[in-house]
Amino acid sequence: MYLALARLAFQRQLTYRAATLAGLATNAFFGLLRAYVLIALFGARENVAGYSVRDAITYTGLTQALIAYIAVWGWWDLIRSIRTGDVASDLARPIDFFGYWAAQDAGRASAQMLLRGLPLLILYALFYNITLPPTAWHWLALIASLACALFISFGWRFLYSLSAFWVQDAIGIGRAATMLTTFLSGFLMPVAFMPDWMIALMRLTPFPAMINTPIEIYLGHVREPDLLFALAEQLWWVVALVVVSRLVLAVGVRKLVIQGG
Amino acid sequence: METLRLYVELIAVRMRSQMQYRTAFVVDTIGAALAIFIEFVTLALVLTRFGSIGGWTLGEVAFLYGLTESAFGTMDMIFSGFDPATFGAHIQRGTFDQFLLRPLGLPLQIFTSEFVSRRIGRIFNGVLIFAFALANTSIVWTLPKLLYLPIVYVSTVLFFGGLFVVGATICFWTVESIEVINIFTYGGTTMMSYPMHIYNEWMRRFFLFIVPSGLLIYYPALFFLDKPDPLGMPLFALFLAPVAGVGTLFAAFALWWYGVRHYTSTGT
Repeated sequence: MYLALARLAFQRQLTYRAATLAGLATNAFFGLLRAYVLIALFGARENVAGYSVRDAITYTGLTQALIAYIAVWGWWDLIRSIRTGDVASDLARPIDFFGYWAAQDAGRASAQMLLRGLPLLILYALFYNITLPPTAWHWLALIASLACALFISFGWRFLYSLSAFWVQDAIGIGRAATMLTTFLSGFLMPVAFMPDWMIALMRLTPFPAMINTPIEIYLGHVREPDLLFALAEQLWWVVALVVVSRLVLAVGVRKLVIQGG
Repeated sequence: METLRLYVELIAVRMRSQMQYRTAFVVDTIGAALAIFIEFVTLALVLTRFGSIGGWTLGEVAFLYGLTESAFGTMDMIFSGFDPATFGAHIQRGTFDQFLLRPLGLPLQIFTSEFVSRRIGRIFNGVLIFAFALANTSIVWTLPKLLYLPIVYVSTVLFFGGLFVVGATICFWTVESIEVINIFTYGGTTMMSYPMHIYNEWMRRFFLFIVPSGLLIYYPALFFLDKPDPLGMPLFALFLAPVAGVGTLFAAFALWWYGVRHYTSTGT
């Protein structure tokens, strides 16, 4: 059932070919700009906070590749569905509401990874000498970490979308939530480049687990014995966000008044 | 004069209608300001570890950032009607035909068809970053510099406006707005916010001789900050901003009129 939903969402993404190509070109161009900014920051330095210049360039490729997968710039499907009242029929379905949306998001994200994430990294590999995960364990951990990252991101997006049950301008709240994501996740700059107090602050939030953790696993900055620990930390955020989302959903549904029809 | 009166009156109508949704206006305005502010703060935080970027201090980069942002925000407000997304929607729905039928100048109608006043947030943010730049650089203000600053600002507004008009023109043929123009508009603002010499040669050439964005912020900034030109362009390159700005907008409108003449309605 959930698999069928995911497959449908996956196929829906495949139909927007021109948009995918344009998105890919835009992601690649911004990746190029960000790579130059990082190269200029390094200047003559070989290594900063565990990053080589090569790692830093790879980092820009990885973050740009994750934009569509994680929906860094926001996701308004659920908000729209609550606003139009479509949510009522979805809630009436004999299927778990959270699972219904999560399955569709998994389908959407895998399509985006395939269409925009991987091609972008291949493009990077053609133009730059990029870093690759050092061991087979890192590859395995990366796959698990990407799955966790998606669920953390989904939990967060689901949560802010629920605000539409209470306020009219939920997209405004969503935009603010999206900004928090870009600011605290290590999307704009690697978390390791921040001042120590900022790193401590970021680590208290689920955001680095969406972007920074999979990237540090990919780059091999998380050493082999610590891989399980990094994944456990992500898993904790998955559980926490799922629990909170479900609680808020339960409260929201009780409040639900469909505005006309 | 009559055109100007009509313009002011029509824009006032647009603004009044937007002010009816005050909460949405406030939320969106703050949101627009914060988005870029966060990028700048991130750069500032990272520079505590790195010190400088391409030999430029945070204050000097803020000069580029602030000027680019306030100019782009201003353009985004004034040229709202030419925003490829907005204009593309007119072509797609066939509502562009209505403009052609009304007894009023076409550009005036497009300019007044939309006016997104919440862009004021982005302008405000740009001004704030520019103020930070003034406080953190030691610019020696001379009369030529004081006179040139507003010229650079207006030229950059016109330049960005030209990009929007080109993006709108493309819609005559593609019907829908093409996202690739974002590379030049939003990508352009990001690029212009950093000192140009950090990019490689083919990018610098492209953004000097084809899309002349480098002449609008970076070269004038060298003049204001009294920095030598690491790229070895002739001295007058510092003062080409008005030529690049007016030239781009002029070329863009020439293209746009060509598009209007070859426009065939979607018929919907």
